[in-house]
Amino acid sequence: MLNKIFSKQNRALTRELVITDFKLKYQGSVLGYVWSLLKPLLLFIILYIVFIKFLKIGNGIPHYPIYLLLGIILWNFFSDLTLQGLTSVVGRGDLIRKVKIPRWIIVFSSSISALITFMLNFTVVIAFMIFSNVSVNWNVLWLPLYLLEIYIFASGISLFLAAAYVKFRDIGYIWEVVLQAGFYLTPILYPLSKISNISFQKLIITNPVAQVVQGMRYSLITKETITSERIFNSGLYSLAPFVIVVVVFGLGAIYFKKQARYFAENI
Amino acid sequence: MQEIIRVDGLTKRFKLPHERINSLKSSLINLFSNGRLNYEIQTVLDDISFKVNKGDFFGIVGKNGSGKSTLLKLLAGIYYPTNGSVQVDGKVTPFIELGVGFNPELSGRDNVFLNGALLGFTRKQMEVMYDDIVAFSELERFMDQKLKNYSSGMQVRLAFSIAIKAQGDILILDEVLAVGDESFQRKCFNYFDQVKKEKKTVILVTHDMSSIKRFCNNGILLDKGKIIASGNPQEISSGYEKLNEV
Repeated sequence: MLNKIFSKQNRALTRELVITDFKLKYQGSVLGYVWSLLKPLLLFIILYIVFIKFLKIGNGIPHYPIYLLLGIILWNFFSDLTLQGLTSVVGRGDLIRKVKIPRWIIVFSSSISALITFMLNFTVVIAFMIFSNVSVNWNVLWLPLYLLEIYIFASGISLFLAAAYVKFRDIGYIWEVVLQAGFYLTPILYPLSKISNISFQKLIITNPVAQVVQGMRYSLITKETITSERIFNSGLYSLAPFVIVVVVFGLGAIYFKKQARYFAENI
Repeated sequence: MQEIIRVDGLTKRFKLPHERINSLKSSLINLFSNGRLNYEIQTVLDDISFKVNKGDFFGIVGKNGSGKSTLLKLLAGIYYPTNGSVQVDGKVTPFIELGVGFNPELSGRDNVFLNGALLGFTRKQMEVMYDDIVAFSELERFMDQKLKNYSSGMQVRLAFSIAIKAQGDILILDEVLAVGDESFQRKCFNYFDQVKKEKKTVILVTHDMSSIKRFCNNGILLDKGKIIASGNPQEISSGYEKLNEV
């Protein structure tokens, strides 16, 4: 089955769609692709000034600026992927109405575009890590798994949103509000330790995005990070985020598959 | 004769909302009024059945709104039938229109590769065919220009040149003759002759009865979603002319 899903044709099509995406994204801009690197760089400077110099929030956490930056680019990855996924099917209505291509490829290729942007941003984080002598240990091997987790979670949501958006355009506005709320309910700008109530901590870390953000910070930057394993004492409950990821992806894929038959006439 | 397409009791209905329902509020309102008020059901194809044999040059004829395009989309697998079935034994070219996915902001070259991928080609295959495609379209000088700077005739030429490279056992051509000038039409006709010789199966939708008579050996005439004549191209075209007299 995997052979069929990732057939030569499907790979070629995904590739062309991704390339087109990038060509159109930066066309007409003088610096072009450089913006993908400049954006996180400029963001870092702002974060540094506001959170380190003005607010002094991260006292006690080593390499706090990088800690912040990593959280933000992970959140941006999640939000870009789902927002691009949301509009992907409707945005490619011309193709859907006129060619028989596997519908999921449209969502998939938009997720790959978001992944590439994330990778570019991530190189900036790595550059800063090298620059400020962050010591790396074996935990770094967990990194691909965390990335996979957040990617699958975001893709499942995208599949659901993309299919629902064909019928209900309100979904776009709803999702923007959800994302904004999610940004503040996830420990991105503040360290999780600032929340003293343990029940709230538990609630927050059950969100797979929060669990991934904290996990990646722990394995990449500093042990002074509260991970879900620490909150749940590595109990069975620490599996909750993974269960959520699998369920969300499953439901999203099923809903998408069911709706995909009628995309051509509903768009 | 080997059957390549079999259409059985095919029906396609569309829900036509009086006002487009794509917000939650209107769908809630719709729910409470039992949905009766807000849309009507239109039967575009009504229980049609036919067969296409391998090597047929199959014409589909009918006035505007008779259901031709819907039928093509069902054959290509873009729409899903309400009732009945479409069985296809082989690969249908997946497009029903020339130049699908053409993006005006991309260069001619980029568009060729994108369009090729949509037709199911890998990049390597496209690189092999690229020079051929460009030569056939006679657009060598313009390939690095953006598509938006092409004239519409040039765009059609490029799209057609890619489309005829599309592999597949069954070729679907919708109104290709309606566009382009005389020399382009001649090119189309030459191409038709060639695929006919190669015994490829072609499904042609057109309003041009002379090309139906010239190329087709089989076909159907659609009116209001039903087949009113089938088989002999002569009969079909005279039936079509009768329809237009009324």
